Amino acid sequence: MTAAFTESEERLALRKAVADLGRKYGQEYFDTAFKEGRKTTELWAEAGKLGYLGVAVPEEYGGGGGEIGDLAAVCEELAAAGCPLLLMVVSPAIVGTIIAQYGTEEQKQRWLPGLADGTSTYAFSITEPDAGSNSHNIVTTGYRTEDGWRLKGTKTYISGVDEADAVLVVARLEDARTGKLKPALFLVPTDAEGFTYNEIDMGITSPEKQFTLFFDDVLVPKDALIGSEDAGLEQLFAGLNPERIMASSFATGTARLALEKATAYAKERQVWKAPIGAHQAVAHPLAQTHIEIEMARLMTQKAAALYAAGDHMAAGEAANMAKYAAGEVVCAAVDRAIQTLGGNGLAHEYGLVQMLAGSRLSRIAPVSREMILNFVAQFSLGLPKSY
Amino acid sequence: MTKIVVAVKYVPDATADRKFESDDTVDRENVDGLLSELDEYAVEQALQIVEEGEGEVTVLTVGPDDAADAVRKALQMGADAGVHVNDEAIAGSDAIATSLVLAKAIEKLEYDLVMFGMASTDGSMGIVPTLVAERLGLPAVTYGSEITVDGSTVTIRRDGDAASETVTAEGKVVVSVTDQTGEPRYPSFKGIMAAKKKPVDEWSLADLGVDAAQVGLDASGTQVESTAPRPPRTAGEIVTDEGDGGTKLAEFLASKKFI
Ligand SMILES: Cc1cc2nc3c(=O)[nH]c(=O)nc-3n(C[C@H](O)[C@H](O)[C@H](O)COP(=O)(O)OP(=O)(O)OC[C@H]3O[C@@H](n4cnc5c(N)ncnc54)[C@H](O)[C@@H]3O)c2cc1C
Repeated sequence: MTAAFTESEERLALRKAVADLGRKYGQEYFDTAFKEGRKTTELWAEAGKLGYLGVAVPEEYGGGGGEIGDLAAVCEELAAAGCPLLLMVVSPAIVGTIIAQYGTEEQKQRWLPGLADGTSTYAFSITEPDAGSNSHNIVTTGYRTEDGWRLKGTKTYISGVDEADAVLVVARLEDARTGKLKPALFLVPTDAEGFTYNEIDMGITSPEKQFTLFFDDVLVPKDALIGSEDAGLEQLFAGLNPERIMASSFATGTARLALEKATAYAKERQVWKAPIGAHQAVAHPLAQTHIEIEMARLMTQKAAALYAAGDHMAAGEAANMAKYAAGEVVCAAVDRAIQTLGGNGLAHEYGLVQMLAGSRLSRIAPVSREMILNFVAQFSLGLPKSY
Repeated sequence: MTKIVVAVKYVPDATADRKFESDDTVDRENVDGLLSELDEYAVEQALQIVEEGEGEVTVLTVGPDDAADAVRKALQMGADAGVHVNDEAIAGSDAIATSLVLAKAIEKLEYDLVMFGMASTDGSMGIVPTLVAERLGLPAVTYGSEITVDGSTVTIRRDGDAASETVTAEGKVVVSVTDQTGEPRYPSFKGIMAAKKKPVDEWSLADLGVDAAQVGLDASGTQVESTAPRPPRTAGEIVTDEGDGGTKLAEFLASKKFI
C-alpha cells in the first residue's frame, strides 16, 4: 500500500470518465428500463467497449490490466450517477477474479475476453434455500461421469441469470458430500439441458433480477470445472474479497446519490424564512452522512490497496469492515434523504423512494451485517466463536 | 499522413458557480475547470480523421497551470502529443492577443490541418479560429457540421437556416467544427493509462518569440468594463382561470412582445 491517502491520477481520471458516461444514462434510464422490463444493455455495452468493465482483467485476455480498486471505482461512479449495476459485482469481480487466478490457460482464453469487453456476463451462485449465511450447508453436487460432470441441486437469490451466458456454480463433489465445505466450481452455460430458472418476485427497483435455479442432472464437460478439484476453498475465497470491495462501492455510490439529492433539496426548499438546510436538524444528519460515506470509501480503498499489494489476510479484514460501513451508510443516507424531502421523498419523481428497498440489500448480501460482526468479533478481537 | 493540431481551451465548468475576479476577468483559479465541451468535438473529428487514414494529433492549449487538465483529457481520448503554452504574462488576453500566441505556437509545429471547436463555452465569441487563420495566412473554413479529408482536400458541410453549403479548401487550412459533428468519445481505460506516457511540451512566451507587451490584459484591445451575476430567476406568474384565462394569457404574451 502506498503512503498516500489519495487515489492515483489515473484512478481519478477513470472516475471522471465513468461519471460522465453515467450521467449520459442516469437514474431515469435505469428506472425506465426497470419499468419497461428491459435491461441496461446499452450502458453495459458502452461501458464494456470503453474497457470500464474489464479494467481488472489481465491485458493478455483483453482487459485493462488494472486493479480491483479500478473496477470498484467504476461501480461506485455508475451507482452515484443512478445506475447501480449489481452484475458488476458478480461478473467481472467474482467470476473474473476466480477464472483469472485459478482457471487453466484454455479457460482463461475462452471466458475472459468476453467478460473484459462486456459482451459476455456470468452469474455467480452459492446461496441455496438451506445455505445462506452458512455456506457449509450447500448440497448441490457434482458427480463424475465418463466424459465430464453431472450436476444436481438448487440455488436461490441468484442475480442476473437471465442476462448471463453462464453461471459459476459452487458445488460439492460426490466424494465430499457432507461436512466442512470443500467447494468445486463449475461454469455452466445458461442454455445447458436440464438447467431451468424461475424469477423471484422482488421489491427492488432494478432491471437486474433474482432467480431460483434448478440443476436436474445437468451434464457438463470436464473443463467446466474451473481450476482444480483440490484448490477448493482457497479458490472460492479468491473471489470474496473483490466481491466485498465491489459491494461496498455499490453501496457508497448509491449513498452519494441520495446525499446529493438531499443536499440540493435542502438548499432550495424554503418553508419558513430560510432554506430548510439552515435548520441543524436537517443539516446535521446530512453532514453526518457525508462523514460516514467518506469513511466507508476510505476503508474500501484501503481494502483494495491491500488486495492489490497481495496482503489477502489484511485485505479480508478491511473488505469486511468496508462492507459493513458501506451497508450501514447507504441505509442511513437513503433514510435521511427521504426525511429531508418530506412528502417528496416518497414520490417517484424525486428518485429516492425507488432506492429504498435496494439500499437494504447492502446490509444483507453478499454477506450480512451480523456475519461481518461475527467475523470481526472472532478474528479481530479474539472473542469466542458464537455459532 | 495527416498532421493535425487541435487548439483546445480550458474553461470553468459551465455547471458550477462561475465568478469573475476583481479586474473583471473570468475566475479560473477557484472554479473547477475542464476541457471546453465544444472543443471535444474538434478532438473527436481529428481522431476520426487520423484513424481513417494515418496521422498524428497534437493538442495545443494556452492557459494557466490547470489548463494541463484539458490537454490530458484530449490525450486520454486518444491524441498523440500535447503542447501547453503557459506564461503569467498571458493572463487576461482577449481573443486577438490569444490568437497571436496560438498562431506563434502553431508555426512551431508541423501540421497539415488546424482544428478548433466552434466557440469556447466561457467566452463564446467564436472568432479565434478566423483570427488564427488570418495570422497564419491560411484559409478558414468554419462551423463545419461534417468534415472529410481526402489527401490535401478538406471538405466541410456548413448548415445554415435556409441551406447547407459544401465548402472545400486545398492545402493547409484552419477548420472549426460544431456540436453537430457527432458525440465525442469518452476516454477508454486504455486511453487513460496510455495518456501518462504521452509527451507534453510546455512553452513560454520566450519560446515562441512573443514579447510579453503584446499580450495580457494591458495589451488587449477589448476591456471588460463591468460584470454582474445573472439575476436569480423570479417566480412565474400564475393565471387563475375565472372564465377569462385565454384573454389573460394573450395579454401576458403581448406584454412580453411574443404576440
Ligand atoms: C438482491 C439479492 C441478490 C442476491 N444475489 C446473489 C447472487 O447473485 N448469488 C448468490 O449466491 N447469492 C445471492 N444473494 C443471496 C445472499 O448472498 C444471501 O441472501 C445472504 O448471503 C444471506 O443469506 P440468507 O438470505 O439465506 O439469510 P440467512 O442466512 O437465513 O440469515 C437470516 C438472518 O439471520 C442472521 N444470521 C444468520 N446466522 C447468524 C449468526 N450466526 N449470527 C447472527 N446472525 C445470524 C443473518 O445476518 C440474517 O439477518 C442475493 C440476495 C439478494 C437479496
